[in-house]
Amino acid sequence: MRAAYLANYFIAGCAASSLLGWIASTSPMAAKAIAFLAAATFILWGLCWLLDFSVSGWLKISVQNLQAFLLAVLAMGIIGAGVFLCS
Amino acid sequence: MQLKMFVLSGAALTLWLTPLVVLDKKVTWHKAIQGLSLGGAIACAISAGNIARRLAEENEIETIKTRAITADVVDEIATSAYISQAQRQQEAEQLLNPVEHLERSLALTCEDEGELTPFSAASLLKSDAERSENDKAERALQLKAKGWGKAKIILEVWGVSKGGSPKYKAAEAEYKRLVEGDVV
Repeated sequence: MRAAYLANYFIAGCAASSLLGWIASTSPMAAKAIAFLAAATFILWGLCWLLDFSVSGWLKISVQNLQAFLLAVLAMGIIGAGVFLCS
Repeated sequence: MQLKMFVLSGAALTLWLTPLVVLDKKVTWHKAIQGLSLGGAIACAISAGNIARRLAEENEIETIKTRAITADVVDEIATSAYISQAQRQQEAEQLLNPVEHLERSLALTCEDEGELTPFSAASLLKSDAERSENDKAERALQLKAKGWGKAKIILEVWGVSKGGSPKYKAAEAEYKRLVEGDVV
C-alpha cells in the first residue's frame, strides 16, 4: 500500500508538470511566468541538493529521504514536461 | 476501498495521457479539454494517494496489534510455565526432604532463642504434622475430584492396601476425617 500511495502522488506530480506546460502553451505571458517559475524551482532544487545536510536538519528528515524526494521531484518534472512536449 | 483506489489511479493515468496524445493542441476546444482532463488527473491521483495512505496506516496498526497480542500470549505462557515449574520444584523439595526441613526449622529456633525449649519443639512437631496432614488432605481431595475411589486414594496417599489391617483402618478413619469431614 505504501508503494501504491507513493506511485499515486508521483502520477499527480507528473500530471501537475504537464498542466504547467499546458498553461505555458496558452499564451506568451503565461509561458514567461511558467519559465520563471521553472527556473526558480530548479535553482531551489539545486540549492537543496547541495545543502542537503542543512536542509534535512531543518526539515527534520533523513538525508536519504531528502535526496529521494528531490530525485522524485526531478523525475516528475522531466516526465510530465516530456509527455506534454512529445504529444 | 481498494477498488476505489485502483479505479482512481487508472482514471488519473487515463486523464493525464489520453487527451494529450489523442487531442490536437491547435483546436481551441481540444486544448480546453486537455486542461480540464489534466486537472481531473491531478485530483484523481491525489484522492487515490490519500486512500492508499490511509489503508497503509491501517495495515501498520493491524500489524502492531497482532505483534502485541502474540507477545502477550507468549509472555503469559512463559509466566505460567515458570510458575508451575517453581511450584513443582517446591513440592518436590518438600516431599523429598522433610527431615532436613525440620532440622532447619529447629536450627533456626535454636539460633533465635539460644536453646530449644520443650514448647517450641512441640509446636514445631505439631506444625509439621499439620502440614503433612494438610498435604494428605489436599492430595486426597485432588484425587477424589479426578474420580478416584476411596481404596485407591488410601493406597496412593497413605500407602496402605485395602484389608482389615489396623493400618488400613487408621488410614480409612483419617481419610474420612479429612475428606468427608466425619469425626471418628
